[in-house]
Order: sequence, then structure tokens, then C-alpha cells
Amino acid sequence: MNIAIADWQALWLTLKLAGLTTLLLFIIGVPLAWKLSRWQSRWRHAIEVLITLPLVLPPTVLGFYLLLLFSPNYAPGQWLSHIFDGPLVFSFTGLVFASVIYSLPFMVQPLLATFNTNGQRLIQAAAVLGIPPWAALFKVLLPASRAAIVSACALTFAHTLGEFGVVLMIGGAIPGETQVVSIALYQHVEAMEYGAAHRLALMLMGITTVLLLAARWLGHNLAPRGLNSEQVKPVMGVLG
Amino acid sequence: MEITLPLFGAATTTSDSTGLNVAGLVTSLNAATPWQLNLPDSGIFGLTGPSGSGKSTLLAALAGQRHCRGHITFANTVWQRGHRGLATHKRTLSLGFQDSRLFSGQSAADNLALARRYSRRPLPVAECDRLLEAFGIEPLLHQPVELLSGGEAQRVAVLRQLFNNAPLQLFDEPLSAVDRAQVLRRLLPTLRDFWARYPALVIWTSHDFDEIQLLAQRCLWMDSANLSAPLPLHEVAQRLDSRGVGDSCRSRIEARVESLNDGLLTLDFGGISIFADRVTGHYRKGDTAAFLLEAGDISLSVEKPGLSSILNCLPVTLIAKQKLADGRIRLQLTAAEQVFYADISHLSYERLQLYIGGPYFAQFKAGSLTGL
Repeated sequence: MNIAIADWQALWLTLKLAGLTTLLLFIIGVPLAWKLSRWQSRWRHAIEVLITLPLVLPPTVLGFYLLLLFSPNYAPGQWLSHIFDGPLVFSFTGLVFASVIYSLPFMVQPLLATFNTNGQRLIQAAAVLGIPPWAALFKVLLPASRAAIVSACALTFAHTLGEFGVVLMIGGAIPGETQVVSIALYQHVEAMEYGAAHRLALMLMGITTVLLLAARWLGHNLAPRGLNSEQVKPVMGVLG
Repeated sequence: MEITLPLFGAATTTSDSTGLNVAGLVTSLNAATPWQLNLPDSGIFGLTGPSGSGKSTLLAALAGQRHCRGHITFANTVWQRGHRGLATHKRTLSLGFQDSRLFSGQSAADNLALARRYSRRPLPVAECDRLLEAFGIEPLLHQPVELLSGGEAQRVAVLRQLFNNAPLQLFDEPLSAVDRAQVLRRLLPTLRDFWARYPALVIWTSHDFDEIQLLAQRCLWMDSANLSAPLPLHEVAQRLDSRGVGDSCRSRIEARVESLNDGLLTLDFGGISIFADRVTGHYRKGDTAAFLLEAGDISLSVEKPGLSSILNCLPVTLIAKQKLADGRIRLQLTAAEQVFYADISHLSYERLQLYIGGPYFAQFKAGSLTGL
């Protein structure tokens, strides 16, 4: 296959974006899902809806609001560009920021589902052996939720790979900075370079297929056998 | 005069009692009957009663896993005062659940290691090995806990609790799914010996009264959310009978080990030698051992019987009688300050013209004593 340097660049950028987003979301998602699963307040539902919002909202809506948020004309944008040492619009950092919000439900929902079913019982069982809650999260709950974690990470990664609308709104198509594969593909089609578009599309298909197969295999091998596999199945079903 | 209130979760200044003290403990289950309980800082106590009477609720409230109000102190530390309770993991206790609740996604060994790691008084490694062997867990150690059967999971769960070695150990029907012969012959002796070496206050909940009788000398009774003080076992047996909970009646008797010859154990029962056979070799000379005596295995004579193949003959006093649903008579007998039951037929009762307070001779075969 003959793939242009710019396309390789787009591919590398996409993988970097998805990888970084997944890592950040894992760090944010675990404590967030844990706190939510233990929170006994009616605000919990409001927060859960807020987290689920990116799942149903058109990406352009999200992109539009992020564009406003990043705008250097307003205080939040000024503050953000001060923190990240430069404006977030049309930058890789801005893309990562947007992807974290965009893919948040794909990380938090599977974790929340498994924490809600298993969490309370296991944390109680840990507490009556003198294990404090935070230690119980890392030593008891996370090992018991391995399958859900793999599933959540795979979903987050795959979802970020396919990001288009949000990127278009806030990132544009600067090669090596914000031009991801889906954007490059769109531009090839616009320019009627169907050969190049085919090659990129096939690459993306191949990567996502391998990724999902690997996640299923991992999930199957990590899923606790017996009772718990029933609880993991609905989550894994999203991948199938 | 300055009055200092005990700090919450901190040691109290008044050290009149070091064990478990529960006063006016109320949950949603026992609004009208607050629970009182005073237990020493070590010893094994049974807890039994009809299903749904509130046993698990009591344990959950002690562990701080159920909304309650009242007063709980243990080892001079306040655990509950009014509506405020100390967090579960800060209480020096362990609780075993009916459904094992092993940590999934880990092996049995991981489960045990974690319990030992967070123990406030970790057991020596040699002791852990000894327990592993006695519980027959060694071949299961590296299996994921999801692959264990119900009985295996329960054994791992009890062992996990022993590895934690908390000063207060609460058990909620911990061995209900384990093969009964294994419980009696292997697990209960191990538990009894373990707690003799590493004293703790143990509350052992079970529907199997034999299990309680072989482990404990006193038992708490819970009925319709009413909690009794620790009772002698024969009183609890009586309550179980009157509730129709127990079917066959066995009594706990204690005797001092004198010798073990050719599988026949000679015991000293208040100055009289009695014998038990078919026992395993856990006994040491001079130890006090507990046995269960089946009420249906005892025969009663008015005069001292002559030489017989029935080895055991005790002079007893009849202290009470009760007619059973099937027509037989259950006699409450006492000898050497111990109380046990004997079931005889209605016909025998009339022929022998038994009367309360009368002196008789109770005979039973060496095989009718079940020991640990």
C-alpha cells in the first residue's frame, strides 16, 4: 500500500489522541464511578445524566460549546489558555481535552454498572476485615472488575478513534497537530482521491476490528467465571 | 466535679468492663425491644433462634453495617453512641457472611493474604500453615475463588476470618454448606484449639445446635427480635424444643480426659469414670473435653444395674419432665452439676414410677458420646 506521509501522520496522531484520552479517562473515570456508586444523594442522578449527555448529543453541539469555552474572548478560555500555555482551539491539547469529555460516558458507564452490582457487597466484606474504603477500591473492587475495566478502556479507545464532529468544530485539520484519520479521510473524499480514502478507511477498519477482538478475548479470559460472568456479559455485549 | 465524656472511637477513661457492652441498641427490626448484651473480652458464645428473628441484624448492627442507635463499646472503645457509629473498618472486629463474599477476581491465597495484611494482630506464618492444612485448603489455594464450590468457599471464608484474627469475631452460619462430618470431625476441633491458643471474643451463629454445643458453653437466644443474656446450653435446648426447631435432642456434657487406650477414651465425670469410643486422637490427658449425648440413647434404671456391656452408668437426679409430641417423655437429669436430657417411652415412665427429685441410674453405651 502506498500511503502518503501526511496520512501516516494523521494515523499516528489519531492513535496518540485515543491512547492519551483512554489513559486520562481511566485516571478520572475510576474514582468518579467509585464516588458516584457510593453517593446517596438525589444529585447523583443529575450527575449521571450530565455524564451520559455526550452519548446522545450530536458531536457538533458539544463541539460548539467547547469552542465557546475555549474562546480567548471570555474568561474561561483565557484561564484555560493560561494553564495550558496557549489557546486550546486548533491545538492537540484542545483535542485531548474535548475527547476526554466526549468519551467520558464510555469509560464511566461500564465501571458504574459493575460497581453498582458488586461494589457494595465487596466493600462491606472488606470493611469487616479492617480494610479501609480506598484500599478496598484498589485491592478488592478493581481486581473484581477487571473485565469491565478492559471493556471500558476498549470502548473509550475505539470511540475516540472514530471522533469526527467535535474535531472538526474545535480542531480543524492542521497536519501533525489536529488532523486525525477521520478528517484526513473526509478531505480525500472531498478532493476525489478515492484511492487514498480507501487505504485510510481500510486501515481504520483493520485497527478497530483487531482492537475489539482483542478486547473480547481479554474480557473473556479476565471475566470471573461463575456467577459474576453474568454480570459482566451485558457490558461486554456492547462490544459485540 | 469535671465529667469527661469518652471520645468517640477513642479509649474511654472508665475501664469497668473490657469486653463487649451493648446497651439500648435499636434497629428498625427491634424498635420495641432494645438489645442489651454484656460479654467478656474472650470466649466463644453461640447465637441461635428461629429464622428471621434478627440474628443477622444484630451482627450487622455490631459491625456498623446497619442503621441503628444505642450504645456499643468494645475493649473500652466507643463504637456507637446515639445515632453516630464508628466506621466499620475502624472497629476491631471481623464478620463472616452467610454467602462467603470472597473477593472475586483473585485466588483463595490472595483472599487470605489480604485478610492477614490488614490484621491488627497478624498470625505467625507457622500458625497460618497449620490452619491451611487443618482446613484442607492447600489444594485450592491457587484457584480463582469463582471455581470453588459452596462448601469450599465457606471454608476459605472462615479461614480468611481466622487469618484476620480480630479481637471480636462474628460468624453468621459460616459452615452451613460444608459436609457435616467434616465440620464435626475436622473444622470444629481446629476452631476450638485455635481460639484456645489465640483468644478472642467469638459469637458463632448457627441453626445447627450441635455445632454450638461442641464449640461454646453458653449461647445467646434470639426470638422475634428479643435477645437473651448468655444462657446455659440446656436452657437453649429447651427453647429450641418448645419452638419445634430442634428434632433430635443432644446435650453437651463435659468430662476430663484420663486416658486413651485402643480407641477407648476414659473420662472423669465428677469423680465417676465414663467411656467413649470411636473418637479421634485430639485428646490430651488432663484436658476438659465436650461431648454430645443423644437423649434417645440413654436408658434409666431405678436400681443400680449389674455388670453389662453398656459401659457407662451415672447416678443422676431427675429434675424435670416434659411430654413430647410423639408421646415419649423427655426427662431432664442432672449429675455432677451438669444437665442433660433422656427420652424414654410413656410405658417405661409409668412402669418405673419416676418422680421429680428421685435418684436414678442413667446408662448409655460408649458409642453414644459424640466428641470433637
